[in-house]
Amino acid sequence: MGIDNTFGPIDIAISGLRAQSKQMEVISSNVANVRTTDAGRGEPYRRLEAIFKSDDDGISGVSLDGIATDTSDFYRIFDPGNPDADEQGYVAMPNVNLPTEMMNLTIATRAYQANAAILKRYQQMVETTLELLR
Amino acid sequence: MSKTDNIIDFLGAGIRAENLRQKAIANNIANLKTAGYRRIDVKFEELLAKVLDSSGPVELSEIEPLIYQPNQTPVKSNGNDVNLETEVGEMVKNSLRHKAYIRLLNRKYKQIELAMST
Repeated sequence: MGIDNTFGPIDIAISGLRAQSKQMEVISSNVANVRTTDAGRGEPYRRLEAIFKSDDDGISGVSLDGIATDTSDFYRIFDPGNPDADEQGYVAMPNVNLPTEMMNLTIATRAYQANAAILKRYQQMVETTLELLR
Repeated sequence: MSKTDNIIDFLGAGIRAENLRQKAIANNIANLKTAGYRRIDVKFEELLAKVLDSSGPVELSEIEPLIYQPNQTPVKSNGNDVNLETEVGEMVKNSLRHKAYIRLLNRKYKQIELAMST
């Protein structure tokens, strides 16, 4: 992404907004699948994590580097009636921890708001300059 | 076709371009969920820069804003490539540019008025 000098902060703030909305998408996937015992590969849903990278060295926007899977262990709960239970009656549950997801959700929301605030402030700054042309 | 090196004509073309771009952005946002839709944008600044590099009067039709499909943004699974945040950013930039052109035009008219009132 080429950053135009005058509108650089706008492009950067927009890249931040896009990144945080992607983050929100990942969190909602994790929360929705908190009890998914079968994700299609013979194992429960694995928690996802969005990885971000900066576009350039120095002043730059942010973009999505990739979506990584969390390799930590699955939770095991005792539920012999479940069709996915093993011989001992244990079912593997996704490695999603709801309180963690809720905390990440708050961080993503606040970061989104911060980027929107930058966008708004910068708009006001340019408008101050334009006032000089009146 | 008419040739011009008048600032008012340039500003007029700029304001027309920002008007058209506002329509393009509205169109993109309206088609946020339309399958297969690719976002559209307006080509103007590139045309103006190219024309201003060559000295002398400028052919007005050469800086007429054009609608085109950039086809550069990543396409989602339904073939659509519109992103709401990007469009909002474009809209902010567009309205700031529009404001700048209007203020410059206003300045130019004030200058003319000053010359007439003496």
